[in-house]
Amino acid sequence: MRNFIFKRVLQLVLVLFAVTFSTFASLNWIGSPLENIVGPIIGGTDCGAVERGELPDTSSAGGGKTDCELVREAEEEFNLDRPVPIRYGIWVGEMARGDFGNSLIGGTEISELVSQRLPRTLKLVVYAQIVALGLAIPWGVSTARRANRGFDRVSTIGSFGLLSIPNFALGIVLLYAFSFRWNLFPSTFTEGSIPTQIKALTLPAFTLGLGLAATYQRLLRTDLITTLQDDFVHMARAKGMPPRHIMYRHALRPSLFSVITVFGVNTGALIGGSLVIEQIFGIQGIGALLVTSVLRQDQPTVVALISIVAVGFVVINFLVDLLYGWLDPRVRAT
Amino acid sequence: MSEPQLSVRDLSVRFPTTRGVVRALNGVSFDLEKGQMLGIVGESGSGKSVTAKTLMNLLPRTAEIEGEVTFEGKDVRALAASGQKHFWGVEMTMVFQDPMTSLNPVKKCGEQIAETLRYHMGRSRRDALAEAEDLLGQVGLPDPAKRVDQYPHELSGGLRQRVVIAMALACEPSLLIADEPTTAVDVTVQRHLLNLLDKLREERGMSMILITHDLGVARGRCDDVAVMYAGRIVERSNTETLFSDSRHPYTDALLRSIPRIDQPSHTRLDPIPGRPPELINPPEQCAYAPRCRFAQADCMEAVPESQGVKGMQEFACFHPANTDRGREALASNVAAGETAAGLPVTGYAGGGA
Amino acid sequence: MARPESESNVSDTENTDLEAGRLAVAMAEDGPDEAVEKTLGFGFWLCITWLSAIVLVAILAPVLPIADPTDINNGPLKEGPSWSHFFGTDNAGRDVFARAVWGARVSLVVGAFAITFGLVVGGTLGMIAGYMKGVIDQAVSFFFFALLSFPALILAILIVTTFSRTLQVVSLTLGILSVAPVGRLARAQTLVFAEREFVDAARVIGAKNGRIIIRELLPNVLIPMGGLGLLGIGVAMVAEGGLAFLGLSVEGESAGQLSWGKIINESSKGRALSDYPHVALLVIAVMFATILALNFAGDRIRQYTDVRETAF
Repeated sequence: MRNFIFKRVLQLVLVLFAVTFSTFASLNWIGSPLENIVGPIIGGTDCGAVERGELPDTSSAGGGKTDCELVREAEEEFNLDRPVPIRYGIWVGEMARGDFGNSLIGGTEISELVSQRLPRTLKLVVYAQIVALGLAIPWGVSTARRANRGFDRVSTIGSFGLLSIPNFALGIVLLYAFSFRWNLFPSTFTEGSIPTQIKALTLPAFTLGLGLAATYQRLLRTDLITTLQDDFVHMARAKGMPPRHIMYRHALRPSLFSVITVFGVNTGALIGGSLVIEQIFGIQGIGALLVTSVLRQDQPTVVALISIVAVGFVVINFLVDLLYGWLDPRVRAT
Repeated sequence: MSEPQLSVRDLSVRFPTTRGVVRALNGVSFDLEKGQMLGIVGESGSGKSVTAKTLMNLLPRTAEIEGEVTFEGKDVRALAASGQKHFWGVEMTMVFQDPMTSLNPVKKCGEQIAETLRYHMGRSRRDALAEAEDLLGQVGLPDPAKRVDQYPHELSGGLRQRVVIAMALACEPSLLIADEPTTAVDVTVQRHLLNLLDKLREERGMSMILITHDLGVARGRCDDVAVMYAGRIVERSNTETLFSDSRHPYTDALLRSIPRIDQPSHTRLDPIPGRPPELINPPEQCAYAPRCRFAQADCMEAVPESQGVKGMQEFACFHPANTDRGREALASNVAAGETAAGLPVTGYAGGGA
Repeated sequence: MARPESESNVSDTENTDLEAGRLAVAMAEDGPDEAVEKTLGFGFWLCITWLSAIVLVAILAPVLPIADPTDINNGPLKEGPSWSHFFGTDNAGRDVFARAVWGARVSLVVGAFAITFGLVVGGTLGMIAGYMKGVIDQAVSFFFFALLSFPALILAILIVTTFSRTLQVVSLTLGILSVAPVGRLARAQTLVFAEREFVDAARVIGAKNGRIIIRELLPNVLIPMGGLGLLGIGVAMVAEGGLAFLGLSVEGESAGQLSWGKIINESSKGRALSDYPHVALLVIAVMFATILALNFAGDRIRQYTDVRETAF
């Protein structure tokens, strides 16, 4: 067990390193951070020449500082004169202390942005997963019971359909139908009382949740059908236990393992992956922030957010593995 | 004579499949007296498991069943149709072949025994678990208090099978059906399990049907043995008679194909020639005829009816072994070099006729 | 004690019907209620028909008698479907049907390229990892895991904004994204097959590793991968749609740079959806039908070829 945890933590660290470094590097080597910070005009100034006296100093921005002064300031603050690996090291140090740095846009502290936005995304994710599981379990059970007969065949088409429709497309359709056509739900998310928030999150949660439900249902159905052919189910029937009991108290638990694994992985993936939905439904969450900061080359924010999402993913994976071990007593013994 | 505890009359079971209708059981009839131990012997596909599952209402929905099954005066098939809840598992129970898979791997042993007590007998959880522990002791499990809380994978095969037996007996059934209970365990464990079953049977006055493909298991433990072939009972006798004076050629052939300790060493075994029987659209003839050394023309034209003395020896054959008719039939076949079915015949390798 | 089972002298060919009978009894007793169908089925061919139609139309787009998709003021603005404009017109008067036809090109190309790249690169890596095991396997698995930990869409956004937004870049990006999932599957399949005896047999004869991978393992791994291929095209198309929806797919206004996601994006912003919903909804319908066809066909292939394989 100790060994397992150690390996997993090591994995977490390595993955984080790989992910963050590659992001950091790509934004710094390929992009031009100086220009991002001070703008292309000022950033284009050849301060080396100015200092050698070859070119006059200019002052494009107001505020009393010359361009080269601004450049030097930026370079100092962001350590731009040092090589990328060193910059990375400094950044890691800061992150470890909880200092995520400031956004290039507006200078807000990133940690503040995160603390504002992360909860919104998390609420959406949790809601979506609840919807998904809440639909998938009864659906999976009833289709497994009547495998290959009428209801099952129809529902296969249905779940295929849900799996095939792209997230954003479903979101648009739902938005159109339930918000514009029949004004049942708001079209954007606003903070407010809990019921208001729930109502506002319903459409996006269902958009995400329906697709997930289809996945979970198919997995559950397959596993249930297999489990129902196991001998211990026959034994339970031979004992005269009623079908309901057999389904929910005997067959369901061993059949949930695949679903749980995927459920866990999805939770991690959704944190970063719900960004399109956030856009459609106007939810100011982590995903939306990520998109805007990438588009505006807000490098510190991008790297910070990606790290958070990556950490979330790996940690959740790790927890899922632990959970799996705990749920299946056979694995526990090893 | 008093009514038998279990009475099966003309039981037929058919399964429609993509390849045609499979006739798994064809007019199976037998009785079982209270407290009796009946062995059912046959190869795979003979219908022995299907018989058990029919009694236990475990067949899939697609099965077409005909015939009567009466248990202690109750019409079992009617009970099945009406969705009777407290019959199977209470009056009649079954133990399956593989203890590894008969138990739910994610539930504790005690829990699996207790659930029948709670559902059928209305016991509370605590009482049920206490009784479960007691039952585990009765089936000879060492340290039952510990076992109640263990999972199946923590026990060895033999112990697991005992748990299964405890589970089956929890509600004190009058009939226990054991489908190849010893096939999946070691030979040494086999003996212990069979002894256990004997003991429990006597203590509780329970009847038992023991299904096996192993004649040796049947002998010495069962009062009667029924031999099945191609979905029919071809012979039923009390055990000693079966082993010393059988009638049906299939039984006879089975006995000759097993090594026996009372035969001289290096006695050659006589395997049974030919192919397993056709279960889809079987021809209207004795199902065993294509492989029978005694086969005559009439065997190829009609299905033999059951004859003999009920309770002593019944069989279904036109030219039974160990009779004059049979001996004549065999002799004429040997002379001709083949049977009416075209099976080549020489004398028995093991000697004797 | 010997089993009293017959020593049948049964020839293999004669066995089939008898075996079927016994198998049927065994299955009837324990198995599912109905046998798995052994044909691909009407639904499958329906999907293939639709897909072929889409591909054909997409390829032939430049020579088809349809409107110029970039021609503004081709017709009345924001009109619903009519005989002159099958899908109606959008807010700039462009014929939506023509736009949908041209949009298919980019969507399909990106999807096909992405999955091919994923199969080639991911499949190769996965097979090597599964076969060699040890350190190589650990390294490749780690690489896959790291790649998966990157939120997919974010990675796509990153690459696309760092480099330019051409068709090639977008396709390559999605290709890179499919390497990890495909690779994992390839690796898992290889692990299963590599343990089987025919691999040992090949080794005993003296076949070198490379040869074993190509001659023995590849054909076996290809079968489940094939089913995955169609499914993968669908996934890649959805991903491209997502990118386009964020405004990050292929840049440009010409006909050759239209994709379904782009059209959907444009026609669902702001008030567009309430004003002229037919554009977004119709294109969504086409996209949905295509992906559904891909998924269904891919799944049928997988079922059809998977029948005797053990699930794991």
